[in-house]
Amino acid sequence: MQLRILGLLTGLLGLVSALSAQGSKLVVILEEESEKSKYSQFWSDLQDRGFQITYRSPKDTDLSLFLHGEPAYSHLLILPPKSKGLGPQLTPNLLVDFVNQGSNILLALSSEQPVPSAISGLLQELDITLPADRNSVVVDHFNYDTKSADEKHDVLLLPSPKFSKSETKNFFSVDKLIAMPHAVGQVLGNPSPLLASVLNAPSTAYTYNPKEEGELEDVFATGSQISLVSAFQARNSARFTVLGSAEAMEDKWFDASVQSPGAGKKSEKTGNKEFIRKLSAWTFMELGVLRVGEIRHYLNEGAQKGASNRTDVEKLDIDPTIYRIKNDVHYSVEVSEWSNTAWIPFTTPAGDDLQLEFSMLSPFHRLNLKPSSSNGVSTTYTAEFKLPDQHGIFNFFVEYRRPFYTNVEEKRTVTVRHFAHDEWPRSFVISGAYPWIGGIWVTIAGWVAFVALWLYSAPSQPKRDLKASSAGKR
Amino acid sequence: MAAISQGTGSKFFFEGESGRNTRGLLRLIILVTIAAAAVASRLFSVIRFESIIHEFDPWFNFRATKYLVNNGFYNFWDWFDDRTWHPLGRVTGGTLYPGLMVTSGIIYHVLRLLSMPIDIRNICVLLAPAFSGLTAFATYLLTSEMTTSPSAGLLAAAFMGITPGYISRSVAGSYDNEAIAIFLLVFTFYLWIKAVKEGSIMWAGFCALFYGYMVSAWGGYVFITNLLPLHAFVLICMGRFSPRLYVSYTTWYALGTLASMQVPFVGFLPVRSSDHMAALGVFGLLQLVGFTEWVRTQLPSKQFQTLLRGLVLVVFAAAFGFLVLLTVSGTIAPWSGRFYSLWDTAYAKVHIPIIASVSEHQPTAWPAFFFDLNMLIWLFPAGVYMCFRTLKDEHVFIVIYSVLASYFAGVMVRLMLTLTPIVCVAAAMALSNILDIFLVAEQPVEGAQPQANGNPRANGPTTATEKLASAIPDTLRSTKTPVVGIYSYLSKSAMTGAFTAYLLLFVLHCTWVTSNAYSSPSVVLASRLPDGSQHIIDDYREAYYWLRQNTHQTAKVMSWWDYGYQIGGMADRPTLVDNNTWNNTHIATVGKAMSSREEVSYPIMRQHEVDYVLIVFGGLLGYSGDDINKFLWMVRIAEGIWPDEVKERDFFTARGEYRVDEEATPTMKNSLMYKMSYYNYNALFPAGQAQDRVRGAKLPAQGPELSTLEEAFTSENWIIRIYKVKDLDNLGRSHQEAGAFEKGNKRKKSGKRRGARVLRVD
Repeated sequence: MQLRILGLLTGLLGLVSALSAQGSKLVVILEEESEKSKYSQFWSDLQDRGFQITYRSPKDTDLSLFLHGEPAYSHLLILPPKSKGLGPQLTPNLLVDFVNQGSNILLALSSEQPVPSAISGLLQELDITLPADRNSVVVDHFNYDTKSADEKHDVLLLPSPKFSKSETKNFFSVDKLIAMPHAVGQVLGNPSPLLASVLNAPSTAYTYNPKEEGELEDVFATGSQISLVSAFQARNSARFTVLGSAEAMEDKWFDASVQSPGAGKKSEKTGNKEFIRKLSAWTFMELGVLRVGEIRHYLNEGAQKGASNRTDVEKLDIDPTIYRIKNDVHYSVEVSEWSNTAWIPFTTPAGDDLQLEFSMLSPFHRLNLKPSSSNGVSTTYTAEFKLPDQHGIFNFFVEYRRPFYTNVEEKRTVTVRHFAHDEWPRSFVISGAYPWIGGIWVTIAGWVAFVALWLYSAPSQPKRDLKASSAGKR
Repeated sequence: MAAISQGTGSKFFFEGESGRNTRGLLRLIILVTIAAAAVASRLFSVIRFESIIHEFDPWFNFRATKYLVNNGFYNFWDWFDDRTWHPLGRVTGGTLYPGLMVTSGIIYHVLRLLSMPIDIRNICVLLAPAFSGLTAFATYLLTSEMTTSPSAGLLAAAFMGITPGYISRSVAGSYDNEAIAIFLLVFTFYLWIKAVKEGSIMWAGFCALFYGYMVSAWGGYVFITNLLPLHAFVLICMGRFSPRLYVSYTTWYALGTLASMQVPFVGFLPVRSSDHMAALGVFGLLQLVGFTEWVRTQLPSKQFQTLLRGLVLVVFAAAFGFLVLLTVSGTIAPWSGRFYSLWDTAYAKVHIPIIASVSEHQPTAWPAFFFDLNMLIWLFPAGVYMCFRTLKDEHVFIVIYSVLASYFAGVMVRLMLTLTPIVCVAAAMALSNILDIFLVAEQPVEGAQPQANGNPRANGPTTATEKLASAIPDTLRSTKTPVVGIYSYLSKSAMTGAFTAYLLLFVLHCTWVTSNAYSSPSVVLASRLPDGSQHIIDDYREAYYWLRQNTHQTAKVMSWWDYGYQIGGMADRPTLVDNNTWNNTHIATVGKAMSSREEVSYPIMRQHEVDYVLIVFGGLLGYSGDDINKFLWMVRIAEGIWPDEVKERDFFTARGEYRVDEEATPTMKNSLMYKMSYYNYNALFPAGQAQDRVRGAKLPAQGPELSTLEEAFTSENWIIRIYKVKDLDNLGRSHQEAGAFEKGNKRKKSGKRRGARVLRVD
């Protein structure tokens, strides 16, 4: 909800400045001013995309993520600190508050600098586990850059991200190899549906602490269980991305050419620039942002039947609070997607559907919404169905949670009442009731006939007999 | 001269035609005065507190009446209430007895028509007292049918007006079905007696009409439905079948059943449920007996008659067997649980805890009879005995009514209400007889005692003495011509004096009971300060108005069902369960949420979209009607549905004690109810000295912690505590983990987990 308003406001502003659906204020935490120049290509790219970048050192006393209790920035980028922690203004609790209020964080790690325990504790809250050894690095003896890490094998070369589920939309595909130098491997908790791995290590990779000598025992993680870039999307759709290798953002690797081991492999340029651009665009809400526009439901019978296809319905009774059981109902929802510069109609990836639940305690209907029309900004998804034969307080519930898309959760509560006393079919309409109705009328007619007969056939008695009988009665 | 004119004056006023008029006028004045007294004694609560609806059920009736007045009758008829029983809703229009609301609605509209716009609340508050005046009048009519003594009716009316047994349900503000139902009950009985006496279709028709009104007003109509057939049945068994009985019963049954079926809540019950089958059976029996009688007049053969009697028995047995068959096959609904609990007081506790959990469904304690009826309770058997002496048809009714109602009143506190009218009638008959005998100044003239002793109904004893005289041989002078009558002024004045004293004491007792026991609205509690002044504890309304003003219009409030109607009425917020208790499973769900651990309760509350949880806690004030004391009922009701998940045994210590202190069982300490009750309670006391004043227990030094709920409101005296249900954690953690993180505790590293590694599958 909040996001929607924010999105709307910034969307208007965004026409002239930012490409983000949420806001353009970005704060970058880096310890030394000298570091800044390492990433100059990345900064200029961000600036071109409309971000107002503020550079802060974690030691700054006037650094504060909040202003008057509200987030002061829409986005936060943390580069690996040299010192042991991030200081009092970036404690895990404050960062969690920052995310809870809807702001996004891009956290870059590096195996060159030990990860502060505050950060690994924070990631632990997100169900992302870092190696216990602070100096661990991901190595792979089959997919490394022969040019820069011929001996250490710690600069990984990876193909473009791919997702096993076909309906997961890939926002991160690049057509060149991505170099991940000195990466910190992450392991994602199994049950958390909020987490998704953007870039997995190849199956031959493993984590390893170069400072530890001797044989390798009890490896932290191996193969594709190691996530090099992880994306976390909170329930309020705030995004938290962990980039295992901060160096991948450096100018050096934007321009570098790399070569895979093995014969016949040629030297080629890295796809880092594009990948980092896409990753930051996703984190900073330039990609995969969904917005729900108007939601309408109305009675689809009587004078309003088929109102969506007609123009002659003058006064459509939209969003009534109460329906009756077995009513026909029309439901429609407008969904837009933010695409870098503007809202465009959202279409579900192939093989995926937007679903509508009509539920009370549990769903009574779960229907696929069908795209019915599109107006350049949004797609209108509709469903028409008959309400269940159960009265109660129901919800029209649309829930769409997919990796890398912001969450759609829209609930409209309506009451479904029982038949009123005058809405039942009348008895003479029901053919099965004819015997009973006939019975009633036959009884009445019979009684009237009997009374008439009784009165008619009363014996005419002589007067004294009548007297005698009445006296006898007394 | 003056004396002469006085003499002629009194003669003019007290004898002959004008004398009758004078007595009629006096009677009217007395009745009006009684009605005024009845109304006045019910106004204590309004004067002490304010014009407010009392207790629990009246709040629903009040809310329904407001709906009726605002939306009109047909909308009320079809009312689907989406603010109770969330999310099931309640078909309220079809599941209530509309008589009360419609009555108030009609009064409201009539008064407006007369350009007297009166707030509907005041009409509702004062409806019960107003109808108590009518009840007194109806009692007068009923009693007058029983005896020729003119004073009996007036005494009965006076008793009915002020007896606490009836006042308990009809003080101002007690806007419940019983408020009008008792009037209808007594009046229907009066019309029935009238009909049986006269054998008139008109009276039976009126009886059916008022029976229909009664059905629309109170579920207790079943009492009439079974009492009238029983009366008819007993009369038949006594060989007192008469065309009068036939006409009145058949008319009443046919019209009354049709009338009762017009109420949606009753619908086809009169032909489908066992509770109503007696009436149908007697109806059939009457036809058979009527037929037999007719055949007898045609065929005077004795053998044929016995054959017919045998036939009747066979038919009766066959009909009964058929009935049983229908019941077993399910066409006719079996007896309802409430009915069984009338015969076996332990039945409800075992099978339907929801009924047993209501305090007014408990068996009556013996002192309650004296408390509610005072001297009437010992005059009552005398009156019943007098009915036996002149056992006319209507006296049989009194006898049956007294026997049945006495039993029911003994089984269920609530049914004291149905006993009260008959106690008043019988006691008035006994007392008027005594007064009629002892208040006569003239001495009885020998040889003409029957006329002189002032008891017109003394035929019985006279014939009895004659019989006695004939039976005993003429050996003793005293038995030769026994003289019956009161001669001595001493005994007359002693008796009248004693009874005047009793009557005065009765009035005193009634007023005392009314003022002290029955005039508390229970929404507002009154207590005495050390200096004797009254202190009002208004926590309920404080909390309900907090809800009303600080929460969203559709915020769902979960509470134990006792408070459902009040939340609906005063706070105007949707509730999960309320006093209607139509859905035991839903109530058990709330019971389960209250009696389980937070991890179990939270999904239940989420599923039911609960926003706030309201509990009543009396520990600080010593208010014993709180939720911890009701807690075992929640556990029992939940156990009835989920015997594997909620177990009553777990809430008792190993020694079988129900404790809340340090030694409370872990299940108890972890239950949501316990946690909500004692959350932050420690903060009120010096460390380690928290004290529960209801249960007299010293609480653990470490108070309970809540993670899925947060405290939203606690009333001044901590009687009402309201908690807000937290939303799911934004980062997908459990609330315990989130709470620990807030406090700065580090999460355990899952990497150091033992056992096989769990791989993530995307």
